[in-house]
This record gives sequence, C-alpha cells and structure tokens, in this order.
Amino acid sequence: MNSLKNLFTPLISISNRTFSILAIINILIAGALWQVFATGGLIPTPAKIGESFFKIIGSASFFDNLFISITLTLKGMGYSIIIALLISYLSTIPFFNPLAKFIIKCRYLTLTGLIFLFTLLTSNGHDLKMSLLIFGIVPFFVTSFLSILDSINEQEYELCKTLRMNNWQTLWEVIIVGRLDQVFEVMRQNFAIAWMMITMVEGLSMSEGGLGTMLIKSNKYIDLGTVFSILIIIFSIGVCFDFLLKQLRIWFFPYTKLQIKK
Amino acid sequence: MYKKEEVILKVEKVNLTYDQPILRDVSFVVYNITRPNMLQGQVVSLVGRSGIGKTQLFKILAGLNKPNSGEVKIGSDLHPVVAGEVGVVPQNYILFNHRTILENLKIGANSSAAKLNDKAKLELINDYANKFGLKEHLKKYPMQLSGGQRQRVSIIQQILTGNRFILLDEPFSGLDPVIKDRVVELLISISTLDEQNTLVLVSHDIENAFAISDTAFILANQEHNFGSTITETIDLIEMGFCWDPEIKKNKDFQELVTQMKYRM
Repeated sequence: MNSLKNLFTPLISISNRTFSILAIINILIAGALWQVFATGGLIPTPAKIGESFFKIIGSASFFDNLFISITLTLKGMGYSIIIALLISYLSTIPFFNPLAKFIIKCRYLTLTGLIFLFTLLTSNGHDLKMSLLIFGIVPFFVTSFLSILDSINEQEYELCKTLRMNNWQTLWEVIIVGRLDQVFEVMRQNFAIAWMMITMVEGLSMSEGGLGTMLIKSNKYIDLGTVFSILIIIFSIGVCFDFLLKQLRIWFFPYTKLQIKK
Repeated sequence: MYKKEEVILKVEKVNLTYDQPILRDVSFVVYNITRPNMLQGQVVSLVGRSGIGKTQLFKILAGLNKPNSGEVKIGSDLHPVVAGEVGVVPQNYILFNHRTILENLKIGANSSAAKLNDKAKLELINDYANKFGLKEHLKKYPMQLSGGQRQRVSIIQQILTGNRFILLDEPFSGLDPVIKDRVVELLISISTLDEQNTLVLVSHDIENAFAISDTAFILANQEHNFGSTITETIDLIEMGFCWDPEIKKNKDFQELVTQMKYRM
C-alpha cells in the first residue's frame, strides 16, 4: 500500500524495474484507450498501425529508405559537429567571438525563408538537404556548447594559471579535453533536432528517397496507417540513437558516470 | 631555538576597491624561520571573519588578481609575485575532473621548473602518494574521492610544481573535528618537507589556524574606516604556542583563542 502511495508522491526515487513496469502499464493503457476511441474513426487503430508496420518492414524499399535517412543524418551531424566545434573553440579568441555570437542568433532565422537561397547556392538536391541540415543544427549546437563553456568554474582557469599553463594550454586542458564528454551530450541533444529535421528536408528533394519521402507520399494518399507506422519507426530509431550516444559517452569518458544523475 | 632570517614574502599597502573598499593598506611580512638541525618551513595564517575580503587577498597573494594599489613581493630577491609562482589550494579543492588522480599529479609535475624525466616524475608522485595515503587512489577520478582526499591531492599537485609558497583557502572549512586534526597534521608535515616551504592559510577557524601557525595576521575592519586591514600580528613563536602538537590542550592557548574570537 505504501509503495503504491509512493508512485503518486513527488520527489520519490523508484528503481529501474519499477520504472519499466510503470512504462509498460502506461503504454498498455494508452494503447487500449486508443483502440477503443479510434475504432470506426479516421485515426487508425493500434491494430491497423501494427498491420501497416509489418507491411512496411517487409517492403523491399524500406531498408533502402531507412539507410538513406540515417546516412544523411549522420553525415549532416558529422559536418555540423566539426563546424560548430570550430566556431565554439574559436569563440574563446576575441577576434572570432562576434562570429560565434552571430551564429547563436541565427537560431531565430526561419529555414523556410532560406530554402530558395540555399537552392541557388547548391548544385543538387543532396547538397541542398545537407546544407539545410547543417544550417539547422549548427546554431543550436553552438548555443548549447557555449552555455557549457560559460558555466565553467572560474577556479578551473585559475588552477591552470597556478600550474603555469599558458592560455593555449588552458584552452586545450579545460575547454577542449576537459569538455569533450559534454560534446557527446550536446551531440545527443542535437541528434534529436537533426532526426526531427530529416523528414522535412527529405521532402524538399524527394529524388533520393528516405523516410521523409515515404512519409510525405503516404500523407498525400491519406494512408494514415502507414504514416503512423513510419512515425513509430522514426521515433524508435531516435530513441535508440539517444541511448547509443548516452552509452558511448559513458564508454569513452567513464568519469561522466560519476557526474550523471540517473 | 629559532632564528628569523630574511623576509621572503612582503605585502605592501595593498588596496582593493570594487563598488566599495574591500582591502585597505594591507601590509605584512613573512620571515624565513630556521631551527638548528631540522627542516622548518613557515606557516602563517590570515584570520578574519567571513566576508571580510580574505578570498580577495588570497587571489592577490597568488598573483591571480591585481590590487588597485600596493604590491606583493616574494622570494629572497622580493620580486613582484606572478601567477604560477604561488601554489593555490582553493576551498573546494578544484582538480581536473576528466583526469585521474595520477594524471592530475602528473600535470603538477610537468609544470615544475625542475625538468625531470617521466620515470623520475612517477617516482616522485608515488613517493608523495605513499606519504599522504593516496597510493590506492591514483587510478581513481577526483569525483570518487572524499573532500579530505581531494584536498591532499590538490596540495600535492601544487607541491609537485616546485612552488615553495602555497596558499590554502579555508583548509578546515566543512570538515569534521577528526578530519580537521588530520589536516593540521598534514599541513605540519608539508611545512617541514623543505626549509623554504611556506604555507599561508586564509581561514576563519582561529583555533586550528593558530595551532599550526608561527605567525597570525588578523584581518578586520577598523572603526570609521572602510575596507579591512591587518589590525593585529600575533607572534605565536614568541608566545610559546608554536611547534607543539598538543597545543590545543594548552590552557593559555585556549584563552588566546577565546580572546581573539571575542575581539573579532
């Protein structure tokens, strides 16, 4: 009785096992309610989505499209990380600081308004998608990473001074090596943005295919069972990558495990 | 038997003002103290109430901050202090959390003016780790150590740089009485590692600071004047309260501590 009461009390810690059981119960309740209320309506029932899901998985083009989307996202993330880290590290040099500040403000630029400009600047659909992905990710990545750099304790820089490090050595020790684990965390957060954007940019140039193209085609024919199935696939892959990046961070930087609050 | 030799640290009319005066005409000197047939470093305390400007003075002494006027000079040639010449052990024992204890100590050894090869550095680190009970923690990360252990690592890291002057900000803060006694023992052992070792403790813990110091400077405000200054210098050697491991049990010493607490 007491443990049941705990489930409805704020700021109570629960075990991983209890969390898993709660998650399954929540999913089952949501699924049951969905099945009851969606029957006979426009929204497909879980049973119908399940049916479409296996149909998509079984189709010949699915894995090609999935591969295209993942490759494009990873490639876009790779370029974005390199560009964003370069801008972030350079921001510690006064001459480049205004550039970093400007990039941060670019978060407020709408991509839709820039599609035409990027179409003119790029030579094919692939480059257009890539440039939009990079332009979408970099400002958010730089913003997150610079806020991490801003929160570095002043005493860490002072420690470097007392250890007779020059400014370049301090940059290396405190910002580059010292915050490499946090790059993985920012990467994890921004992968979600990239993955969310992928369906949008794939819709701009459908010649290469991808999950976004599949989604738009299904939407066009109001094939909502397929739409929901693709959404579930996109969601599941996103969650898997999120978990993978979290594990990679702990694997590469074991000390982060001591700092992460479960 | 002891001798006060040359001045090795001189603080001359240091003034610091932000929105209002923080430090006013802070001046004091630290002498090289020698005792026959033994290594005797110096331990001095800067004692004052919380919020009096101790940490600001601490940063000025370390060469990390510049005062508005005045100067801090160190060494036998009394040259102006430069950041890196004075070791600093901050209150929260800052270390590089992404590096193991061994790597943290290696960074200290790498920045030493004495150029040792890797083998010699490792031997030196192991020697200190053994001496200060850190041998089994060398492969751990700072977050895996207790506050007292991190404090020891932080002190050793600064010693490995070869700095003879080490500043400690509130070394007794937040420690239980048993650990405080261990820190007292640790600081005494560090001060006697080398004739030139000079520890400057910045603390509001009068009893423990006095128990290990040869000289204490009281930082306080004076009536009708803004900004704190050195209001009193207590020569604990002259008073017979120095270099006695059991000094805290001494009635006269306790009376002095009570008096100082009252006056502050």
